[in-house]
Amino acid sequence: MTVKKFRLWIAPDITKEEEWLTEMSRKGLHLQKYRFFTYHFEEDPSKSYRYQIDFRQGAKHDYFQLYQDAGWEYVTESIGVFHYFRTESTRSDVQKIYSDSQSIQDSYMRMRGFYLLIFILFLVSQLGVFTSWNGWPRYIVIAVDAGVIMLYLRLFYVFNKRINFYKRS
Amino acid sequence: MPKQPESFLPLSQATYYILLSLREIRHGYGIMQDVEEVSKGEVKIGPGTLYGAMGKLEKQKVIEKATVQDDDRRKYYQLTDLGKEVLQLEYKRLKSLVENSGELIKEMEEK
Repeated sequence: MTVKKFRLWIAPDITKEEEWLTEMSRKGLHLQKYRFFTYHFEEDPSKSYRYQIDFRQGAKHDYFQLYQDAGWEYVTESIGVFHYFRTESTRSDVQKIYSDSQSIQDSYMRMRGFYLLIFILFLVSQLGVFTSWNGWPRYIVIAVDAGVIMLYLRLFYVFNKRINFYKRS
Repeated sequence: MPKQPESFLPLSQATYYILLSLREIRHGYGIMQDVEEVSKGEVKIGPGTLYGAMGKLEKQKVIEKATVQDDDRRKYYQLTDLGKEVLQLEYKRLKSLVENSGELIKEMEEK
């Protein structure tokens, strides 16, 4: 049986998302697919998996093969850059994806760079709207944009918090 | 101008064992296993950490891709001449560190 759950996470909360997926799996619901903020779970009470999510742009098959060799089964992806892996909870020989704080920090920095680029593209795309539209539709666009900008600023704030945390440790 | 091998020192424990594992051509997981074995379980590298490290080392021309037939899914690596120099220099550095301090540390322990 498939169970669907709608849930929103911000990218820097990747660890919380992993914990949630692992907890769901402990209850017998195992992530199979992720599409449009919806998690598709497959029910099987006899199994339990640990989940990890890795941010990687331009991942090729040597990347997936390495993770598979290391005991991480590929599950699904989100927007082509977040890759979901799992391993059976009973397997204690399987290493966590990142084994030192430097590489965790690197991964948050890659994520931040990715979102920064999207943010800049967004701002550039809105310039045209600002200059060409007149009258009331313009105020709606400004209000929506202001909301989006606040969201991004919050995102970068959390990214920086994470990056600083791993810098110290 | 290519980078001097001295500029890579000191190496992290993980990087040292990674370079050491490439005394033979290996793929990513082969490196992970060798590092764990040679370090007697002291150093275990996760696949994400290894993947990132390999990308960096390749860019720095310390390691390079090796061609291995019959396996097109895995990427194999080998040391470059620069990589061999880096590893040997680091070995010498660590060895002289231990040798120069050995007697003194022993004296401290006896006190």
